[in-house]
Amino acid sequence: MNALIERLAARVDQGEVYRIRSRTVPIQFTSGHLDSIKTNETEGMALRVIADGKLGFATTTDMEDQNTLIDAAVAASAFGDTVDFRFPETDAPTPVSVYDPAIAALSEEEMITLGDHLISRLTKLDSEVDINISLAKSIERVSIENTSDRQLEDKRTLFSVSLEVSKAREGDIFILSDSASVRRFDDFKPEAMLARLTRLLEYGKKLAPVASRPLPVVFTPNGTITLLLPLIVGFNGKAVYMGTSPLKGRMGEKVFDERFSVTDDGTVPFGPRSGGFDDEGIPTMATSLISDGTVKAFTYDLRTAALAGTRSTGNGYKGGLFGGGFRNVPAIGMNNVIVAEGKAAEEKLISEIEEGLLVESVLGLGQGNINAGEFSNNVAVAFKIENGRVVGRVKNTMIAGNVYTLLRDSLIGVGRKAEWAHGALLAPAIAVDGVSVVGEGT
Amino acid sequence: MEDLVRKAIAGSDADYTEVRIEREERSQADFQRDKLENLEQSSELGGIVRCLCDGGWGIAVLNDPAKLPAKVAEATRTARLVAARRDEPVKLADAPVVQESVRAEIENDFRTVPLEKKKRLAESYNDLLLNHDKRIVSTRVRYNDSFREVTYANSEGTFIAQEIPDVTLLLVAVASDGAANIQQGFKSLGEAGGFDVVLNREDEARAVAKRAIDLVAARSVEGGKYTVILDPELAGVFIHEAFGHFCEADFLYQNERLKKIMTIGTRFAERNLNVVDDGYIPGLRGNTPYDDEGVARAKTYLIKNGVLTNLLHSRQTAKKMGASPTGNARAVSYAFEPIVRMTNTYIEPGSDTFEEMLRGIDRGVYAVKAYGGETVFEQFTFSAAYAYEIRDGEVGDLLKDVVLTGNLFETLRAIDMIGPDLKIEGSSGGCGKGEQSPLPVTAGAPHIRARKVTIGGK
Repeated sequence: MNALIERLAARVDQGEVYRIRSRTVPIQFTSGHLDSIKTNETEGMALRVIADGKLGFATTTDMEDQNTLIDAAVAASAFGDTVDFRFPETDAPTPVSVYDPAIAALSEEEMITLGDHLISRLTKLDSEVDINISLAKSIERVSIENTSDRQLEDKRTLFSVSLEVSKAREGDIFILSDSASVRRFDDFKPEAMLARLTRLLEYGKKLAPVASRPLPVVFTPNGTITLLLPLIVGFNGKAVYMGTSPLKGRMGEKVFDERFSVTDDGTVPFGPRSGGFDDEGIPTMATSLISDGTVKAFTYDLRTAALAGTRSTGNGYKGGLFGGGFRNVPAIGMNNVIVAEGKAAEEKLISEIEEGLLVESVLGLGQGNINAGEFSNNVAVAFKIENGRVVGRVKNTMIAGNVYTLLRDSLIGVGRKAEWAHGALLAPAIAVDGVSVVGEGT
Repeated sequence: MEDLVRKAIAGSDADYTEVRIEREERSQADFQRDKLENLEQSSELGGIVRCLCDGGWGIAVLNDPAKLPAKVAEATRTARLVAARRDEPVKLADAPVVQESVRAEIENDFRTVPLEKKKRLAESYNDLLLNHDKRIVSTRVRYNDSFREVTYANSEGTFIAQEIPDVTLLLVAVASDGAANIQQGFKSLGEAGGFDVVLNREDEARAVAKRAIDLVAARSVEGGKYTVILDPELAGVFIHEAFGHFCEADFLYQNERLKKIMTIGTRFAERNLNVVDDGYIPGLRGNTPYDDEGVARAKTYLIKNGVLTNLLHSRQTAKKMGASPTGNARAVSYAFEPIVRMTNTYIEPGSDTFEEMLRGIDRGVYAVKAYGGETVFEQFTFSAAYAYEIRDGEVGDLLKDVVLTGNLFETLRAIDMIGPDLKIEGSSGGCGKGEQSPLPVTAGAPHIRARKVTIGGK
């Protein structure tokens, strides 16, 4: 037991120290030019205490001044809420590989060369495009210690590339983006990324009008976030507990089409959001949320689990839906969200649509009444499908629908090949019918 | 600290070196329904070094100020690496050397208010929301304050110490009819002020709860094209999201095609439209007396009489485009380099009254308050918190699920009326660009009317 934990144990019922040290090196290219190299070396510490049964929290970047930190957390706990959970006791973290020496060893020069390569390939494809790329490697050491004797440490690497390709003409700007986040360098497949962008650029060469009426829509793996975000909100154990989720009281019910299954999984080897434990020291696990259309579980952190009379699912993360820093109190966040693969190829899903849309990305994610499962978005990158073929890009078009209705009554099919997207999601294409579309055509 | 910073800069071999050190004290009281989610008082210290060598940027971020000299050396090393692999050297536009200290002048400084009092205030608003009606199923009340002391220095001799206070309050009520109909009302406010900013907001809290209840009974808007009246808040979000971001020069200064679209002197709107970004209006949380390159604030006309007049610049974009820096190079925290951002952005008032706007609308929508917004180049989308139907020149039923979308250039041209009632307000959130979010900004406008705006819906 280290000195800080000892001091905590003497002053409070329970205490938990979260530390993160990271070195991130982002390299930025703007409009095809190398812009900057940044080295980001940061550290921070967060303290949670439960004193007289009440919760307090404080954070600092001053790793030496532990007294101020303890005083601040204890002072906050005096007016904190009474909570009924214990910081987890010793049991081993999930053995999952999340560290790749190849990422750690990656030099700035190698990353610049990779950026240059992507830019020259894309420019060859279409000389009119403007390209922004950022590449970053990151090494992160996370440790959690608590007064229940738990001492955990994880060393994680992440390599990420995000890329924006735009083509501007008078009155029309077409922008495509793609990103990859991998914990193992070999999982980064630049050729696959280039092939995807090539296909989308080709699809987007022409514009196609779309009329206002309900239409079938194929969401690409990247586009499925439109459907999944309301579900992530709805499966959040706190929303269920608070009564703002339509899934409240529906555990075990078949709420979705039986071809639809979703798992939250922190144990995928080298998964971009995998790790040995969550930010509360709970070993990560694979939690089936939807199995063959049936609601199987909700996601929980320690505090919400205690309120709801259940156990944490290893979804206690510091900072937002998709992770963050030491500054935040743990709340429910996702591990890797995995949609089970179906039977149809994406091309097959497209080929069976007489008139519809292929949606790659939308603007204003989370817009609309997301609590109720609704989305209402302007498409960012989407294409018109006519007689089973992609005929051109659609603009100024809105799509709207309710994911609970669409994924129950109107699922056309689920693609057979899942792809990583948004650094958190492994999903195949999903096709649904009857999405409300407002377009400019007639 | 001042010594440490001056010494680190003096010891630098780079052509240009700047250092920014930020110390922040902040607190939060965050209620969700009947639970106090978080109560905290925290502090943070960190810094960033930017070096320019042979026209390449190297940047280094740190938490331990003792490492400043080492970080200057690291940024110099990476800057040289960039210069060697970059065709065109970065140059900076001239900026006056400034030595100044900007103190925050706030009444009832929140740093002197005990944490318990902040909790009780948030709790009192939360109780108001929760007890309003049994159909209120959940609430969120979040109080935040932050006091930042930012020290900026560069190798040209500029040395600026600024105090930046920020206080925000978010009130959310979620109502449900027991089935899947879940609606929310909210109020979000923020100012560069003291604790008084968040006091006496009881009426607003009641209005938030009432709106959530009302929206449960409201009908969804029917998708289509409408003549739309935007209230000042939503019009402000529109001008910020859809147009303001387009004027940030770092987004276009290396792109010939975009530069052509955004040529100064181009007519974008009718003569009645004037759009301003102003770095200082007392109390507003977008205020930036000196930006994070040490450039003094300015009042910049983006659109004057319907014509594009200026863009927003950093020293780098200004040099490249032959313009002057506008004091808009801002960083969200010490962990980031400055990029071109807005401050307080608004549409200047006109003379068309609300009644005149209603006249002649057979079927339209009066959209109120912004729930969110996003823009990618010329496509924008934003959602209204709520709206009213307009029928035969009169405001009618409450509408929900109103998401507006369109093409920026078409919509600017479609603005045909501008009211006299300018209102600029900050929210509890902020602006996001790249990874840098949420940056304190404000946006505002009078009521405005635009023809043929697309509204999504079923």
